[in-house]
Amino acid sequence: MHAEVHPDAAFYVTGHQAAAAPGTPAAPALRPALFAAYRDLTRLRYDFPLVLRADAADGRVYEPLTALVERLIEGGAERAKALRIEDELRAAAAGGTGSLAALGKVEGELVDCDAALPARLLAHVWRAAQAEKAAAFRRDVERLIVKLDDILRADRARSAAGRSPASLKASFGALHDQAFDFESMSQFLGTVSVQTALSDARRGRIEATLAELRAQRFYAAPGVEALEFRFDSCAAALQAFRARVPDMMRLAKAITLAELEVEGEFSSERHDALFERLAASGLDLRDLALFPDYLVCVRDALVRGAEQDALLEILAGGLPMKVLLQTDDLLGEPSGRAGHVAAGAHSRQLAHMALGLNSVLVLQASAAQLGAQRERVLRAMRYPGASLVSVYSGAGGHAGALPPYLVAAAATESRAFPSFSYDPAAGPDWASRFSLEGNPQMDRDWPLHELAYEDADHQRVRVQVAFTLMDFAACDTRYAGHFAAVPQAGRGAARVPAAECVQREAKGVPDALPSLLMVDERNFVHQAIVDDRLLREARRCNDAWRSLQELGGIRNSHAERLLARERQKWEQERAAAAPAPAPASAPAPEGATPAAAAAAAPGPAEAAPPPSSDEPYIETPRCSSCDECIQINNKMFAYDANKQARIVDASAGTYRQLVEAAESCQVAIIHPGKPKNPDEPGLEDLLQRAAAFP
Amino acid sequence: MTMMATECLLQLCEQRYEIEDFQSAVPRWCTGCGDNAILAAVQRLCRDEGLRPEKTVFVSGIGCSSRFPHYMRTYGFHGIHGRALPVAEGVRLARPDLTVFVNTGDGDCCSIGAAHWIHAIRYNMNMTVFLHDNQIYGLTKMQASPTSPRGTKSNTTPRGSTLEALQPLSVTLGVQNVSFVAQAVDWIPESLYEVVKAAYHHQGFSFVRIVQRCPEWLPKVWDPWLHDPKRILMLDHPQGLRVSDGLKQVYRSTDAHDPSNIDRAREIASDTDRIPVGILYRNPEVPCYEELRATPGLRTIANLKQGLEAELDKFTFWPQ
Repeated sequence: MHAEVHPDAAFYVTGHQAAAAPGTPAAPALRPALFAAYRDLTRLRYDFPLVLRADAADGRVYEPLTALVERLIEGGAERAKALRIEDELRAAAAGGTGSLAALGKVEGELVDCDAALPARLLAHVWRAAQAEKAAAFRRDVERLIVKLDDILRADRARSAAGRSPASLKASFGALHDQAFDFESMSQFLGTVSVQTALSDARRGRIEATLAELRAQRFYAAPGVEALEFRFDSCAAALQAFRARVPDMMRLAKAITLAELEVEGEFSSERHDALFERLAASGLDLRDLALFPDYLVCVRDALVRGAEQDALLEILAGGLPMKVLLQTDDLLGEPSGRAGHVAAGAHSRQLAHMALGLNSVLVLQASAAQLGAQRERVLRAMRYPGASLVSVYSGAGGHAGALPPYLVAAAATESRAFPSFSYDPAAGPDWASRFSLEGNPQMDRDWPLHELAYEDADHQRVRVQVAFTLMDFAACDTRYAGHFAAVPQAGRGAARVPAAECVQREAKGVPDALPSLLMVDERNFVHQAIVDDRLLREARRCNDAWRSLQELGGIRNSHAERLLARERQKWEQERAAAAPAPAPASAPAPEGATPAAAAAAAPGPAEAAPPPSSDEPYIETPRCSSCDECIQINNKMFAYDANKQARIVDASAGTYRQLVEAAESCQVAIIHPGKPKNPDEPGLEDLLQRAAAFP
Repeated sequence: MTMMATECLLQLCEQRYEIEDFQSAVPRWCTGCGDNAILAAVQRLCRDEGLRPEKTVFVSGIGCSSRFPHYMRTYGFHGIHGRALPVAEGVRLARPDLTVFVNTGDGDCCSIGAAHWIHAIRYNMNMTVFLHDNQIYGLTKMQASPTSPRGTKSNTTPRGSTLEALQPLSVTLGVQNVSFVAQAVDWIPESLYEVVKAAYHHQGFSFVRIVQRCPEWLPKVWDPWLHDPKRILMLDHPQGLRVSDGLKQVYRSTDAHDPSNIDRAREIASDTDRIPVGILYRNPEVPCYEELRATPGLRTIANLKQGLEAELDKFTFWPQ
């Protein structure tokens, strides 16, 4: 028997395409059908361009232009005019220009989604975070400088020089210099002995500390050039950090010393050894919070070899560095080699590796998501340890006419570059630290969207279309060879949506070939068959997404197993309980009495048993410290550590004193007991009076 | 947030205080006076909270209660009659690093100082105020005060006072921005201490009325409550104070009053038959005046001079 292999099936298996049928467009001219509505982005209102605010007083370091315009409209701006300005600004931003002057008082930059966006945006947020940090640092250091200066000034005023006539005269100002006799004043003040002058050691220490605080270069100050904290290479950033460690230790010590001096707590015996030990143990990571954070912007393609080692050292060491790992080309070159088609997703591997370090804040998002992920970007820039922000820019230059925004959004949509964040500061467990927010339809394998089109019979067709990794690959002109366009009413092999084939792994040629809905330049719908290699890559991508889902608590296999086990147990118990007859009420145990039941019941909190009525005692916790008993005999009665009275020595006084104390006690808490001395005069009367305080 | 090395070192050197560290002169209050119980509770608080004497200030007006700062080994300001609160507000503004307590009496606070009292509640500055309410002017030897019960015979009211007594708790609960109101009695030291402690921990104007006996001039006035535990209403709530099992055995009247319920707090405060003990009202959300008016700059000499020059420039005539 001889059977001819259908050309579509041959393409599916081999990836080699036969001559295209007449009227079928070449694959590079096609794009995913869901992109039909997005031809000219400048005509749409969406979350780009972004405005990097120079005045972020209201907490919005950056925001979409749309949000800004909406606020202006709410504030009374004419709607039509504001929307027209927004359109103009969006078009200008897409062309790489654009000034916010048209919006009035708003200060800032307008940035569109392109290759430069991630670095510009992160640098902007980083600068804002550093400005907050610098303000707090300056406030603290300025306070310390003022206080230390006060100590020195006070000492100078008390010194012999400070009490000299000239100094006293200068301190009064010119207006009153004739009104006083400064000579006499100086002589008079000279007779006062000063016992609290600063020791030379302390003065020297304070002066050295002041000099250190004033000369710091970590934050810009008038007359002091600040150090650079922005780098384009991990290795360079790491080298700079290491070189600055001695300066950082000196400044950290100076601040600590200054705090102690200001509080008057410094003592050489106590602290010198501590400082030596601190110096020997190196700079504590907690102290790093004082200093500015580093911003390192690197391209994924360049993070190899020594650069990769440096990145790992930064992340593993928890150094205060914010690393932007930018990927421009996610899929990489389609190679003829065996293995993954999308083997170039190096940044994804680095981000997953950073997750395993536990102490690194990791944020992964495509550039199109940066507007929506503002809070997480802010947290990443303010996090005290190391942060890794992995961004796919979508501007790899292989998407033909598709703008970078659409490519970046497609990467998120297709799970090729899913958004996730891991924030160690958010809580103690994965549930609070890890989030998949930002991904569309998180609980599905692929997001589903409705597509409506007109078929060959001019009838409206509505279909649910999944957006898969294959759709994302279809945006890349280099991957055109993995798709074979076929006529809509084709001949031969049956076709099914490619998303359905991802779950079905078939050997050999399947009955139905995976196909995608695509559109050409004129928005005509076509079907394209996907080859097996791309389908396999989609399968891998789906596996990776499911792992992420489990981490994010969606379809978590452990939880599902536990649930199934518990359900089974519950059902078994229910089944066991249902047929059994209702148990007869148990008879009461014989001999049970109300008294026994009362004894078995939990009683009130145990109170200390009162001493025997023969011994005198005080209910000390009720004492109101009124001094009555202490005034009568302070050897018999005394206060405890809480200043409440107790009897320390009943034999230190007479029974009469005990009874008088009981009578004068404002809260009647003294109990005199029985007399020890039977010969004490007037005992009968005293016993009668004591009976009121049993 | 992580801890700085400075804080670690300061904690290493932290001192442990004893109650004696806060005791100054021997109190000259009459023997049996309820002020002694308040003093003991406050000194215990200072010890337990580890308050540094040089960072603590007690401000008072005039009266028996206002001798309080003399007996505390901390900073103190024995002010003028009725003006304890303005002085304390000034201290709070100038030295925000200090812990401020105010001791005032029923005459000092509710009579001559009443206007300051009302506005201090409104300002809601972070301080703890103890109203020592013995219902009589004691230092000047027995004149009726605003909180004296109607019919109190005193040197100024020999035929008995004619007006109904003012209720300090009701007044305080009626003022805008009220944020903490509590009541204690001097003869239950345990709850007195707990109330004082809760007041200290509240961020804002904590007003504590302490019902205080005056054995010298009004020796019998509190006897019905002192000798009948049923007439003490213990306020017991997870958001307020919990009454211990020991106290519950003696004081069996309890009310599960939620301190965030101001209407119920007002109702409880107006009860003249029983004395409520515990936290009547607490709202930690009310902003403090010093935070609302905080200036960003430091009070450096240069800044002060600049501000002064700017003010003086307004009145300076410059040659044209």
